Amino acid sequence: MIELFDVQKRYGARVALDIPALTIEAGERLAVIGPNGSGKSTLLRLLAGMIGADEGVVRSSAFVRGEIGYLPQKPYAFDMSVQKNVELALAGEPNRAKRAQEALERVGLLHLAKARANRLSGGETQRMALARVLAKPRKLLLLDEPTACVDIAAIEQIERAILDYVAQTGCTLVFSSHAPSQAMLLSTRVLALDGGRIGELGDTAQVLHDPQEESTRAFLKNWKL
Amino acid sequence: MNGAFARALALLLAGDPLLTSILRVTLIMTFCSSMTALLLGAPYGVLLASARFPGRKALILINRTLTGLPPVVCGLFCYLQFSGTGPLRGLHLLFTVAGMVIAQVLLITPIIAGSMETAITHIVEPMRESARGMGLSRGRTFLLTLNESKYALFSSYLLGFGRAMAEVGAVSMVGGAIAYKTNVMTTAIMMYTNMGNFSYALALGMLLLLISLIVNILAHVLQRSVGV
Repeated sequence: MIELFDVQKRYGARVALDIPALTIEAGERLAVIGPNGSGKSTLLRLLAGMIGADEGVVRSSAFVRGEIGYLPQKPYAFDMSVQKNVELALAGEPNRAKRAQEALERVGLLHLAKARANRLSGGETQRMALARVLAKPRKLLLLDEPTACVDIAAIEQIERAILDYVAQTGCTLVFSSHAPSQAMLLSTRVLALDGGRIGELGDTAQVLHDPQEESTRAFLKNWKL
Repeated sequence: MNGAFARALALLLAGDPLLTSILRVTLIMTFCSSMTALLLGAPYGVLLASARFPGRKALILINRTLTGLPPVVCGLFCYLQFSGTGPLRGLHLLFTVAGMVIAQVLLITPIIAGSMETAITHIVEPMRESARGMGLSRGRTFLLTLNESKYALFSSYLLGFGRAMAEVGAVSMVGGAIAYKTNVMTTAIMMYTNMGNFSYALALGMLLLLISLIVNILAHVLQRSVGV
């Protein structure tokens, strides 16, 4: 379980995130939506421990190294083969090569296993980074726009890979997305952020089909489910 | 000017003892100082770029200031430390190659550290987030950062090597340009110019450029062989 109390994160004078209280239950699948600059990435980076809160407390039972898998919005491709990149996540574990190949197969990138990672396209880099995160079981999976640069044909495969992983590991999933169909498919609850604050929080179908808040309605008005 | 290079080669091939000594001292001093500065400056530069700790910005500012340290000031500082009244007089470093190397290390280390810091600072954050996002430790993340800094490492070393070889102010003050002992290319060029022996000075200058070219070619070949 993850709990946030009176959490505030500022960048200079700007308040990027201001959450009085938020609880994410173990095994839950939470989608974080909102316009650019609404605080989605800040929330995920905070949950991943990449940044600290200026005020308030973030509590999680998964705050142990290796138990959190975090996919940043702009993942980095290390200067080695695609497979070696995935094997990094499995350091010190048995059958690294085989498990790395399995992870690459799940995201449809096995054919590029021997390719140099820093020569991949943006979408391929994102898929490789996802394979790194999915290569081992984790308690908490944090994905910052996991299909932002990925082509339409591969999106379905990635969504299936995420769902399979969550089903197999029983992990908690928190992800940000701009696609309502993705939020509908992958999440059980939706958190709509508005200027760093909670605009709306509730059941996925309810928030997406019948938003109660004006800010959520404005954000969703051009979406076609 | 036309005959300078030919004269330099002729002197070298003839095994001119003075030229051979100047060349030997120059190479020993430059290699020792640039490698020591690399060993100290590269990890320090990576640390400044990647670690977050109180006082980091002040250290970056100090390092940037030290990159502009005038060589004669550095030479004077070392001279005062090594001379008969200085605190390090017991080490007998004045007018020795070791003393010249120390002066150069003080000059070059901030340059290499600053070059590394500038080169990798933009990749550190995405790299750190990806590494930590996989659950890697701080130590492993630091090693990965060093591995990702290979290109910056080469270019920073060449920068330091070039500075060490071309430096004249500090080495002339600390070394004293003693023939067959501490006279290096740059101090010898100054000396022969002052004596009016322009052709010999030019010949040395050409050799200096040739050495720089050879080192850059070797670095390029090494760079390609490690796939940077």
